Amino acid sequence: MGQEAFETIIGLEVHVQLSTESKAFCRDKTEFGASPNSQIGAISLGHPGTLPFMNKKQVQYATRLGLALNGAINAMNTFDRKNYFYADLPKGYQITQDKKPISIGGYLPIKMGDVWKNIRIHHIHIEEDAGKSIHTLHDSKSFIDLNRAGIPLIEIVTEPDLRSGAEVDAFMSGIRQLVRYLEISDGNMEEGSLRCDVNISIRPKGTDILNNRCEVKNVNSMKFARQAIEFEELRQQKIVEEGGTVAQQTLNFDPATGVTSPLRSKEDAHDYRYFPEPDLPPIQLSADFLDTERKNITVLPWEAFHFLHNELGLPVQEASILSELKDTFIFYKGLLEKVEDKKLLINFMVNKLLPSLHEKGLSLAESPLSKEGILQFLSLISSGKLSHSIAYQKLFTLWMENPSLHPLDLAESQQWLQEKEEGKIELIFKEMIAEYPQKWSEFTSGKKGLAGFFMGELMKKTGGKSNPKEAMDILISLQLKK
Amino acid sequence: MKIDNNLILKLENLSRLKLSDEERVSMISNLSDMLRLVEKLKELPTDEVEPLIYINSETNIWRNDESETLISAEMAVKNAPESQENFFSVPRVINLNNK
Repeated sequence: MGQEAFETIIGLEVHVQLSTESKAFCRDKTEFGASPNSQIGAISLGHPGTLPFMNKKQVQYATRLGLALNGAINAMNTFDRKNYFYADLPKGYQITQDKKPISIGGYLPIKMGDVWKNIRIHHIHIEEDAGKSIHTLHDSKSFIDLNRAGIPLIEIVTEPDLRSGAEVDAFMSGIRQLVRYLEISDGNMEEGSLRCDVNISIRPKGTDILNNRCEVKNVNSMKFARQAIEFEELRQQKIVEEGGTVAQQTLNFDPATGVTSPLRSKEDAHDYRYFPEPDLPPIQLSADFLDTERKNITVLPWEAFHFLHNELGLPVQEASILSELKDTFIFYKGLLEKVEDKKLLINFMVNKLLPSLHEKGLSLAESPLSKEGILQFLSLISSGKLSHSIAYQKLFTLWMENPSLHPLDLAESQQWLQEKEEGKIELIFKEMIAEYPQKWSEFTSGKKGLAGFFMGELMKKTGGKSNPKEAMDILISLQLKK
Repeated sequence: MKIDNNLILKLENLSRLKLSDEERVSMISNLSDMLRLVEKLKELPTDEVEPLIYINSETNIWRNDESETLISAEMAVKNAPESQENFFSVPRVINLNNK
């Protein structure tokens, strides 16, 4: 059997670090990159006698995400202890939600080419992160930094609905975009704010059996996720083709070699001995609490995309760029009502503003250019006062260097404005008509090519500063008057 | 459930304890007694009773998201058996030979 005889079944466990100021169950700080063990107190250290104290924001954020994914929110939330021994888990257990997670079901729409596919969510739950073990600083010791211990997490568990590395990529990008839209996490994979464990199995195409799956742990970049999936697809296919059975086990992916290797088999799988966390009283979510979180979802990424693509008719690429970040979408929408020339606005944002800001490493929120200034800049172009090329190539650069000045003043000071004195242009045309009566008469009786002659003469007389479109309109109106 | 030597070995592993042979014998008898008591309790009709997890009925004990620094890294590692450069230092917990 060849590769095409199999299909790949993938489910994900995605961990999202929430962008809170303090930890899940105590007031320790959560800043990324702080010096080792500088953000820990007695609770993070799991000292005897300490009690967890719930961060309200974590519950708010988890609720918001559950609602955005269309899940059913559990009004009554309880917490459980997941027990295991590891040096970076000071209490010997992780506080998580096993029996009553915050949200059940729902889905995330992902876009594969032109087709949308809903990836079903099994549930999402609230938990805390573990500390960090560093194995590379010493020959025989592991070093433990507990700054990360207790940082608020949401775990998103999907149904086995994903079929390829490309879909996993789209799903993770979709989650990253969503948590940024919801303003609950920076979604930064490089800093570990977004991580996933990949559960993967294969089966003959056209069947619906679920074979033994392997769990690849701690994949912390999209590239590694794809590599790990490709490696596993081939490894599992080979086993099945040779008549074997894939062993259910936990694997570690080594980015250096692109190879997965067993971390533990099913036989010595963890026995987590979940039991209710008696130190954390249940959280009962009121209708008001849910309403507030519903209102905090101002717009969802796929809604923004559909608005741009389906309602406004923007091409897929432009719609994707303008809906990638909530800031961009809201900025665009805010200008939309005030700008006459919609195409110019899209072109300006996609081809000029966003790339220029990106080049300078700035976000739209950090843009030095005011909205009012942008409106003025665009109206200079659409009114014909400034040629498109001068505006894009010269004025924009000058303005970025002097963002406090008005584009109009800058253009005036550089004498870039095109002359827009209808009377003056009309006068010049009238002089020409008197000078070349023969040509004018031929033009008015239908010899359209002569328009070029009159336009050329006009440009000579005004030094090329006249707006061609405007001049042409005047010429035609003179012709009609005759 | 029967408490036998294998179960004791598994529990030892889970709780990172090492028992002597005599301790195992007495542990089997102790745990068996406890289980018998629990079996006895099972005779009570509890189908209609919600499990008691929380001894009072309070809910929503939560706080606003504000941070503070309570102790320094030096203080944090002070009581650890071993530390280096403000890291806790433990026996290596992963095999890096295949790297």
